[in-house]
Amino acid sequence: MRLLRRLGALLLTILVVHALAFLLVRSTRGGPFDEERELAPEVRAALDARYGLDQPLHRQYLAALAGLARLDFGPSLRYRDTEVRAILAQSLPISLAVGAGALTFALLAGAAAGLLAAQRGGRADLLLLGGVTVLMATPGFVLAGACVLLFSFEWGWLPPAGLGGLRHFILPWLCLGLPLAAQVARLARGGARAALQSAAARAAQARGLSPGQILRRHALKPALLPVAAFLGPAAAAALTGSLVIEQVFALPGLGTHFVQAALNRDFTLALGATVVFTALLGLGTLLSDLLLARLDPRAEGLS
Amino acid sequence: MRLALAWLILLAALAAAAPWLPLPHPEVMDAEARLAAPAWTQSPVLGTDPLGRDLLARVLAGARISLFVGLLGTAVALLVGVPYGALAGLLGGRADRILMRAADALESVPMVVIMLFLLALLQEYRAELAAIGLGRLQLFLGAVGLLFWLPAARVARAETLRLRGQAFILAAQAGGARRPRLLARHVLPNLAPSIGTLLMLTLPRVVLMEAFLSFLGLGVEPPAVSWGLLAADGMAALNPLVDCWWLIAVPSFFLVLTLWALDALARRLAGPGA
Repeated sequence: MRLLRRLGALLLTILVVHALAFLLVRSTRGGPFDEERELAPEVRAALDARYGLDQPLHRQYLAALAGLARLDFGPSLRYRDTEVRAILAQSLPISLAVGAGALTFALLAGAAAGLLAAQRGGRADLLLLGGVTVLMATPGFVLAGACVLLFSFEWGWLPPAGLGGLRHFILPWLCLGLPLAAQVARLARGGARAALQSAAARAAQARGLSPGQILRRHALKPALLPVAAFLGPAAAAALTGSLVIEQVFALPGLGTHFVQAALNRDFTLALGATVVFTALLGLGTLLSDLLLARLDPRAEGLS
Repeated sequence: MRLALAWLILLAALAAAAPWLPLPHPEVMDAEARLAAPAWTQSPVLGTDPLGRDLLARVLAGARISLFVGLLGTAVALLVGVPYGALAGLLGGRADRILMRAADALESVPMVVIMLFLLALLQEYRAELAAIGLGRLQLFLGAVGLLFWLPAARVARAETLRLRGQAFILAAQAGGARRPRLLARHVLPNLAPSIGTLLMLTLPRVVLMEAFLSFLGLGVEPPAVSWGLLAADGMAALNPLVDCWWLIAVPSFFLVLTLWALDALARRLAGPGA
């Protein structure tokens, strides 16, 4: 039931975003063909008819809504004879691969580093905290610049850009994931530290459990709870970051297409990408909330 | 901590004094000195870019813009967020629920994407907007500010809720003070300490967002320079044949050190545990 309500809210959000974006695009006076040379009236009328621009606004909106239901956003204004849907369908898997890989990397590396630091304490802990504060302040494109400079040009280990095998994804995953991994590490460390200092953990130590066992039994879950709560914001951050990272590594994903569309006044493509981004973020947040409710029944009451 | 403070003071001083420092003008090109490597002790201290412009001069000019945009964007965020949150907290009940529900809804959409979309659309009205005094920089400030008003609103609301139960508010209410007066005279002034912390927390995010948008080519426009633009130039010039690491390393260094310093100070202000 709650799931249904959340899905309904997500659908509503998408509809509102779509409607607003549609209205904004249509109320923009500059048509997509204004920059071209003077068009003969017949040509202009034919173009307007092809893109449905000769209809009254409510008709246009209904048509756009029907299109949304079929995930059809009409033709791209820049890439002639290409449907926005085709571009989105091509770029979505690339973006999903980048985002999912970066998030997985952030979770695994971050949680491992955080737990290790909490268990070891002392110098390892200080080292982690120092690294985390610097990494959290490092924008993805700065990391990308450093990585390309070192891994691609200096040592020639990894390709600097483009689409290809798995090797082409390693640097994007790293650059998008590292700042997130730093946050995850900080959260996991905090949770695990508190748990390791609890009476239960001390009692376990007194009973003679090994540090590894104590970590698994008493600290793992408290360490992962704040991490699970961070998944939603992490998905949002990965989405934002992907705009830059895809661009830097010349990956033809949603982010690259969206930024190029925004720069090139390709408003139908920008609209389609915005709707897909909204849906992606909504689904990501929903999934992370479900996971959190599963891990921590107390969170069920929230939202 | 001391390092963070020292860096920020040094940077602010350098940025403020940049026009009077004995450096080449940041936009003057020198065909003789293209892509000169950093000389450290003499000009060009931090090298030059592909057009022969002095990188130190450019990075300091960028600091002026980046910090300026950061401060003003933060001001916009707080000016929108704090009254919104304070109002929600003060009104309470149904109005509070509606206001905060609206804020939640905004949180579930990719705001950065929508802002970019809006900025792109507003470019169509460039001439009209310029006529009423709104250049790209002002629009950009508004957009960046609007991206970060939500956290400010939440903190302001929580603080207001805490204040509302206190005796002096009750006394003012008993004395017949109406809500606008209550808000202006009693609630907002008492939010000042938490606003200080909010300012420090928001500032690095705004500076980062400026760099992010400028890097994508949707923020500050040439010939103005900002750290994001410089980093974008550095990335564009990056290739395996010509070694010009300083073009990406120098703006990155300034950006990371500044963000780190602002973060460190903010966390110190927000107290332990934050």
